[in-house]
Amino acid sequence: MSFARPARCVFCSFSRGVSAGTRVPSRQFHPSPTQFTDRKPRFANFKARDGKTLEELSRNMKPEHFQPYTEKEKTALKEEYTPSQLAAIEAGEAAIDPKDMAEQFALRKDPMRLHYIDDFSTIEPGVDKHVRAPKSNSDYNATLKTDEDFIDDFARFFAELPSEATAADWVRFTETLRLTRGKEENELNPHSALVPDLFSPGESLSGKTKLAEVFETAEESFGRKEEITEAMKRLVQSTGYTPLQIASLSTKVLVSHSVVNQTRLGKVRRMYCLSIAGNGNGLLGIGEAKSEEASDAVTQSKYRAIRNMQPIPRYESRTIFGDVKGKVGAVELRLMTRPPGFGLRCQHLIYEMCRAAGIHDLAARVDRSRNPMNTVKAAYEALMSQRNPEDIARARGRKMVDVRKVYYSGRY
Amino acid sequence: MSLVNLAHVCSHLNNATRVRLGITSIPNTLLHLQLCHALQHSGYISSVVRGGPTPPPQHTLLDVPTANDEDKGVEMLTQSNVASQRLWVGLKYWQSQPVLGKMVMVSKPTRRVTIRASELRNVILGADIGYVDGVRSPGESIYLSTDRGIMEARDCVRNKVGGLVLCRVL
Repeated sequence: MSFARPARCVFCSFSRGVSAGTRVPSRQFHPSPTQFTDRKPRFANFKARDGKTLEELSRNMKPEHFQPYTEKEKTALKEEYTPSQLAAIEAGEAAIDPKDMAEQFALRKDPMRLHYIDDFSTIEPGVDKHVRAPKSNSDYNATLKTDEDFIDDFARFFAELPSEATAADWVRFTETLRLTRGKEENELNPHSALVPDLFSPGESLSGKTKLAEVFETAEESFGRKEEITEAMKRLVQSTGYTPLQIASLSTKVLVSHSVVNQTRLGKVRRMYCLSIAGNGNGLLGIGEAKSEEASDAVTQSKYRAIRNMQPIPRYESRTIFGDVKGKVGAVELRLMTRPPGFGLRCQHLIYEMCRAAGIHDLAARVDRSRNPMNTVKAAYEALMSQRNPEDIARARGRKMVDVRKVYYSGRY
Repeated sequence: MSLVNLAHVCSHLNNATRVRLGITSIPNTLLHLQLCHALQHSGYISSVVRGGPTPPPQHTLLDVPTANDEDKGVEMLTQSNVASQRLWVGLKYWQSQPVLGKMVMVSKPTRRVTIRASELRNVILGADIGYVDGVRSPGESIYLSTDRGIMEARDCVRNKVGGLVLCRVL
């Protein structure tokens, strides 16, 4: 301790102020805020040895881990759910044996298991198959109402009749009275072998269509009436994504410049845009557009990029399978696979593409020309030209394990 | 060991797979035969059969000429026909793409490249050693001429032998 410093209270030595260095440097030569060594981390420290892998978790799962709800948990649930919902939850919990639960929770080891972990509750357009609405409204379990049912209906009608009843009430009742039990659509709009109508509901010769339900629900979920353009509507219809999902995709304009068409009337200037779109989890697409308006070109190219999104093979969801080459015009580039934690050591255009696609470890080298537009196209071509080890194994007639172990040998 | 002829074989196989030939022939030498056996062992080619200037007859069931065909047999090697003998190589394709993607010579007739087993290990792990680039792509192989015959690089590492690096198959 320096003698030049004044004496301090003994208890003060426990406070932060006694550290030898000045708390706030008098001069800062950089704009980033000062980091104190004794500052509290934002997240609690977590040791690797305390952690458990998903496999370990599932392997050590025992029936004791699936206990019924405690009183405290039940009171917490009561705040969220109605008594009938709570009863349904409890009935569901009671219906499953904890032993079965422990067995089902474990990762499968049988030969028919899937070789990846996936969430099957969500449908990813472009990767999964389209979900289509049921083709008919048919309800094969529908039955005609019996006399007792009709008596019940009439009894309910008279019981709910307002004090000053009119003929209109009776007409409404007879019109809405159903003759069958089962799905309502089965009776109102049954399956027919006749030729379908020329127009679907809400459609007319003038081409006016009713807004699809997708847009309405999206507006509700946004919580505000956001204007949905015609282009957005077409994008939603062609891709199958909801506007909310589209908003969550990462899109970026990588190249934009003006182009000129020389006609006999003069030069016609237009904006050119090249954008990429990705979901950060293996989907990537590029889109180009030209327009008189710069903003129009941006939106068009972004929407085209979203339409062109394709799954990109990724090794361990972080890097690529082997070194790949791409060539467009005079741009020749090489993308190289790298070990975990390597990062994206490549130029900005390829960096943005990797970020959008969810590739985290990659090195790239752009030889010859470095034209931005062709670089993006060549990088996309290279990413799509990856060879799948499973295909190689099938083609060569050698076992997959051999190929994997040999080619990656525990290092990459 | 003529690397000139081996280079011709590499180019010829590249050309043959590009035009999607089912079967092609290469000069009959011990080096070519051993290399073809190594390629067949790795699954790059379907069959290797010695035959005359015309393709040998196909196996009744397999639709490719085979060396152990009991029905048709393989032509006897005599002094009078040894000069006209060729190796007939059956090429493989998967989903319209050749399985034998591209063969590139590593050693050249003017520059023979040898490698030790310890160095070869690093090549297999993806590092570049001297004139030999690392094996980084899936489905890539290097073939070496060793004192135990022609072997794949990984087999060499397993058996701890080095040798002359012949060619690389992508």
